Amino acid sequence: MRISLCAALAIIACLAAAALTPARAHEIVGNRFFPATLAIDDPGVNDELAFPTASWFKTGDDPSVKQRDISAEFSKRITEDFAISFSPTYSKIHAPGGPAMTGANGFQNLETTFKYRLYKNPEHEFVMSVGLNIEWGGSGAQDVGAERFSTYTPTLYFGKGFGDLPVAWVRPFAVTGQLGYAIPGSNSTTTFNPDSGDLDTEFHPRVLVWGGSLQYSLPYLKSAVVDLGLPDFVNRLIPIVEASLQTPVSNTITSGTVTTGTINPGVIYVADKYQIGVEAIVPINRQSGTGVGAIAQLHLFLDDIFPNSIGRPIFPGTLAGGRP
Amino acid sequence: MILRPLIFAAALALLPAAAQAHAMLDRAMPPVGSTVASSPKEIVLSFTEPVEPAFSSIEVRSEAGAAMQAGKASVGAKRTQLRVALKALPPGSYKVIWRVLSVDTHRTQGDFTFHVGP
Repeated sequence: MRISLCAALAIIACLAAAALTPARAHEIVGNRFFPATLAIDDPGVNDELAFPTASWFKTGDDPSVKQRDISAEFSKRITEDFAISFSPTYSKIHAPGGPAMTGANGFQNLETTFKYRLYKNPEHEFVMSVGLNIEWGGSGAQDVGAERFSTYTPTLYFGKGFGDLPVAWVRPFAVTGQLGYAIPGSNSTTTFNPDSGDLDTEFHPRVLVWGGSLQYSLPYLKSAVVDLGLPDFVNRLIPIVEASLQTPVSNTITSGTVTTGTINPGVIYVADKYQIGVEAIVPINRQSGTGVGAIAQLHLFLDDIFPNSIGRPIFPGTLAGGRP
Repeated sequence: MILRPLIFAAALALLPAAAQAHAMLDRAMPPVGSTVASSPKEIVLSFTEPVEPAFSSIEVRSEAGAAMQAGKASVGAKRTQLRVALKALPPGSYKVIWRVLSVDTHRTQGDFTFHVGP
């Protein structure tokens, strides 16, 4: 019974982790400040620390279970355009229908992302980056779904502000997006099922990891379109909607091909050296979860807090510090 | 359990109070997107951080693309204000293009328009 519970929790946690990969970077491109997004990663390459990112949601398993995650991400620029980030996540999963203190808890597999900014156009508020995310197999606890194999996800990121459009009220809008292809290091896992006495084989699909954000920047409205004289607190808000989706595309014998994910409406408050984001987590279908969850994040801009030490690239550009 | 890391992170954010950040446009005179009745004598931009005058500039362009600033931009005593004198501006729309280097070497840039006339 214990084995089957652990296995169930592992599958649940795995699905949940796939739906809520911790992310984030911020980026300034001309007039545009792209905030660090909470549900998806964005094109930013910077020195920053997202800590903590706390989320509460109910998984898509049947029966659904409550899961709470606390994660962090530390991103360090090696050069002006290249950064490496490390992201641990601690999960607490409640047993289905059980008391609050039962279930499982532990770290998910450690994630590392290598990201390189390919192109940046301040005039058109456009930026594009490429990255490789590695989930290190075996570095987390199996009880919370951490796999024994690694997963490699090459990803393309982009951000585009609408500041070059002629209609004034549209110009504060911006979009960001990501498109990745998750390749598991193992095609399948075979386990003994104590209930049936059989060997169960779970195939690990290759998954299209995709998503985007639509954001309306009140800081942009104030500094580049029209200063309406709104309170400073309001002028620092960026209402945002994120979509974080996964679609299995091959080796889908046991996983199926149903797209799962969440839509996250929320708001981000941007201060000079940090930002705070809060979003609802709305599953797109039953397989993605039940009910509405929530995610909140404190994100520190290390390049602004420690501009002359850990907030600068290890190998800076030509201008002292060479920052954007 | 969740409050503890939040408090720690907030304290961490507040520790280096003397550090600088990106210089972002805080206020402008004439205000961003505004319409003024007559030609202003100068443009005054207030930033969130002090800027380096030698590496900071303001351009003002007419709709035809003509440069309408008179001379180079200079900073005030607080070094968070950058200003530039203007030629006489006929009625029309003008684009203000600013580029600044904050004292900790972060570069930022931006632009906005204002209008002269009824």
